[in-house]
Amino acid sequence: MNELAKILKGLLAADKIVGCVFCFAFYGGQLFGQHSDLIVDGLVLDATTKESIPGASVRIPDSDLFAITDSHGKFSITGIDSNVTRLAVSCFGYCDSTCPVNCPEGLSSINKSKQPVKIYLNPSSTKLGSVIVEGGFQSEGGTKSIAQITMSKAQISSDPTRSLATLLEGESGIAIASHGVSIQRPIIHGLSGNRILILNNGLKHGFQNWGSDHAPEIYLSTAEEISVIKGAAGVRYGAEALGGAIVVRPNILPLDNPLYARVKTGYQSNGKGYFANMSTGLGGKYISYFLNAGYVKIGDRNASKCLLTNSGKEERSASFGVRFNRGKWNAEVYYSLVDQNLAILRSSIAESGTAFVKAVNSDEPYFIRPFSYDINEPNQLLCHHTGKGKLSWHYASDAKVSFTVGRQLNQRQEYDVRRNEDKPILDLDLITTEYQLEWKHPSWLGLSGVIGGQIFEQDNDNNPGTGTTPLIPNYNTYRRSAFLVESWQGGANTWELGIRIDNEWNSARGRKTNQDIFRDEYEFTNVTASIGMLRELSETTTFRSNLGTAWRSPNMAELFSFGQHGFKTSFGLLRYQIHQDKGLTTSRVLRMSESGVGPEKGYKFVNEFSTNNSGNQYSVAAYAHYIENYIFERPFAVLGTIRGPMPAFIFDQTNAAFVGLDLTWERNWSKYFESTLGGSYLWSRNIRDDEPLIGQPPIRINSDVSCKIEKIGPFKEGKFSVSPSYTFRQFQAPRTIRPEELIEGEVKVTKDSEIFDFKDAPDDYFLLDASWSFGWKDFTSSVTVRNVLNSSYRSYLNDTRYFADEVGRNFLFTVGYTFNNK
Amino acid sequence: MQLVKKIGLIAIVPSILAINGCKKEDDAAKKDVPHHAHEVEVITDVKLIFTNTADSTDKVEAKAKDPDGAGAKELEILDEITLDTGKTYDLTYQIMNNSETSGVDIGKEILEAADEHQLFFSFTNDAFMDPKGDGNIDNAADAINYNDKDSKGYALGLSTKWTTGADALTGGKFVVKLQHQPDIKTGSTGASDGDTDMELEFVLNIKK
Repeated sequence: MNELAKILKGLLAADKIVGCVFCFAFYGGQLFGQHSDLIVDGLVLDATTKESIPGASVRIPDSDLFAITDSHGKFSITGIDSNVTRLAVSCFGYCDSTCPVNCPEGLSSINKSKQPVKIYLNPSSTKLGSVIVEGGFQSEGGTKSIAQITMSKAQISSDPTRSLATLLEGESGIAIASHGVSIQRPIIHGLSGNRILILNNGLKHGFQNWGSDHAPEIYLSTAEEISVIKGAAGVRYGAEALGGAIVVRPNILPLDNPLYARVKTGYQSNGKGYFANMSTGLGGKYISYFLNAGYVKIGDRNASKCLLTNSGKEERSASFGVRFNRGKWNAEVYYSLVDQNLAILRSSIAESGTAFVKAVNSDEPYFIRPFSYDINEPNQLLCHHTGKGKLSWHYASDAKVSFTVGRQLNQRQEYDVRRNEDKPILDLDLITTEYQLEWKHPSWLGLSGVIGGQIFEQDNDNNPGTGTTPLIPNYNTYRRSAFLVESWQGGANTWELGIRIDNEWNSARGRKTNQDIFRDEYEFTNVTASIGMLRELSETTTFRSNLGTAWRSPNMAELFSFGQHGFKTSFGLLRYQIHQDKGLTTSRVLRMSESGVGPEKGYKFVNEFSTNNSGNQYSVAAYAHYIENYIFERPFAVLGTIRGPMPAFIFDQTNAAFVGLDLTWERNWSKYFESTLGGSYLWSRNIRDDEPLIGQPPIRINSDVSCKIEKIGPFKEGKFSVSPSYTFRQFQAPRTIRPEELIEGEVKVTKDSEIFDFKDAPDDYFLLDASWSFGWKDFTSSVTVRNVLNSSYRSYLNDTRYFADEVGRNFLFTVGYTFNNK
Repeated sequence: MQLVKKIGLIAIVPSILAINGCKKEDDAAKKDVPHHAHEVEVITDVKLIFTNTADSTDKVEAKAKDPDGAGAKELEILDEITLDTGKTYDLTYQIMNNSETSGVDIGKEILEAADEHQLFFSFTNDAFMDPKGDGNIDNAADAINYNDKDSKGYALGLSTKWTTGADALTGGKFVVKLQHQPDIKTGSTGASDGDTDMELEFVLNIKK
């Protein structure tokens, strides 16, 4: 106890020595006498190393305007009063308190079309006279050389009714796979679900990540920034990051940050939805906290021509974080809760051939009732708790050790239209526990890097009372991992090298339909590696190249599925055997060791070239991805059942290839007008069988033209933008076999048949969105119109495209109020 | 600083309570295997029982079996329906999930949810003296003699009446279709409304 007191005293003393810090601003750009430009673009750099600082917060004092620097240290703030002369910059490890940046001529004097403002920060630990490279956010070591996208707080919070996937849709290379209106999963370069990793607040989001109807339960209002890493980030983030990773970062908890409170509410016309959320926070000298809460309720949505009965949602969420800082020690505690009730389109239920034929062939959904907020079966009740603690020790200026503990509880209940509709058909509790120990070592022979170890545990249990055989067994996963990522900078080049070893042990215990118990235990050990390069070709041009590997073990649905799900019967990798004489049988559950089933392994090569020249910004990313043991479903027969003939599918493994291109072009035409144009193209193929893959994103072109509106009277500067987008028909879709052709036996399906879809890929479509945002005093407001033309269309990537159109026109009105303690 | 600490504490305490509040009560008792479930979503055995209304010991039974339920084994229609001429029968059912040895009576479940179900029929035209015609699968208004009704007074069909005439029939057709029609069922809903729980085609013979 005495020793502890001594350490604490020492820390207190150290804190005094550390003292503050001097910060100064240096403007690389020219200064103009005009006082009309109200945008500041900048770059936050380390004064010693000239490296960019991601995650620094840049605020306009006495206002609600702020920005967080992205992974390149860049930030942009719009809507600044012309008489503002100060910026406040804070970043953990640099300034223990806020660093003021003065510009006597006023910030309005910086012309946006010229070079961005450069702000150099000196590290806070002056005692050792050098630099702490780590910002407030988690280190991005090992991913700097991978093409990535970053979304700012302003983009995230513009529409709080959106899901993670819909927020990211429209960014190049990203698409969404939907199951109706409320369930959406992001797709990166053609891969989704278990093939991309979602890192929420530094923890792998532990949810029932299988099947196309399970979306990650992420509370977006807490997110400060979201990055999408579009390469195989398996080394840095571990298993499953085949296609890439989505990194959701929460509030950075700045110190010496005055009390703020934000409230926002809104109404949307389509589904008569409303939401409200609040956030508050305060940063003192040693302690900082934030508190968020939100509520969203949306009723039945309208497609352009009809009502989509049972398509609403209800979501409650809350989160808080507390940070304690004492000199070299930093401790953080986070908690978040997401509680959702998601309705699934009633007309998407067809469990027999006749019902499916009828549903597929009708233009309108067959079940339409008057508008209601009620959520009936089919629906999903979800409750996700995340708790996290992180302790970091910056024992030297360029080195630190951090230890993270995370625990997540994911409760999922799914209800179906059936005789026992009051009982869930699926009732699962999944507990995820994670321990991470990372050491960012001191610079050694010019190398900087992170060495880390991880223990990841999952425990999945079925709750009784479903009246049906569990689809997913009870299982436990225990994974131990160690990784090393190093980077070395020489001239304009930064090299990255990473290696990781994962050992995963699984135990699964399930029941067959006759209630006999089956058990299996299996283990995988995998080594993943990546090598990458980032080259600054000039001040404005960057080239990134990364070759990375990643892996994942087959998920429980892919292994153990047995029986009917919708109008389809599926058998998991361990649930069938193919015999020479008897054909396919499903009476025995195979053991992993005798099955020949292996983990998926991906090799992804991503190159990105980006340039930013006087208001013109181009970015081209090209990638090639090869996946060994790619798991997919293929048809093998039409089986006779008591319900009538039913198409049957088996999970199988193949080798698949993905090649694609993402393009974006941003241009500032004048200080009022700017535009963005982006597009994505993906070619993919099942190489072994030389056939197409199902559910791959079609070509899409996005654009956005925005116009800034000058300050008028009491109104602050506003923005008006129009976003047209065009999605092509997926011409690489598999062949079509209509369900009636299957049932009536016109088309025979055998185990050698090529994959097929029940309906042709939907036609191309054009969508137009528009939004207008404005402010008055401490209020901000916006009007957004989605699908302005009320187009009737279907998305190839939506499971319910067989049954109904996508959502029609929607007006969203929001009002926000920000209080800042001055 | 005091204020910060106070607000911080106020925030933390209820949140910790919330975490604990959501914890499962049976966390301690680790569940090894999923609980034994009496599977109610699978039907493996259906038996059609025609009982002579004049003599309850005179029964004709026809069975259909999908032995592994959801598995890859094919559905088997085990019997033909062979009735006698000039008799009146009540048709009832035994609908079971026999994938477990004890068996689960799905017929009972259907009866309990009578408001959501109706059986429809299709057969060789004029095979019966009563009902006439070819059944109500093609047209819900066509004649079928339902013996039972649900709580709203709509036909159910777990018991129906069939009268054979003097004519014999060989190699005819008899289809029984059970429709699940939650929130849909009215007096006029037909065999293509809702979802199909059971659709079986038997060979129908009527002998002298």
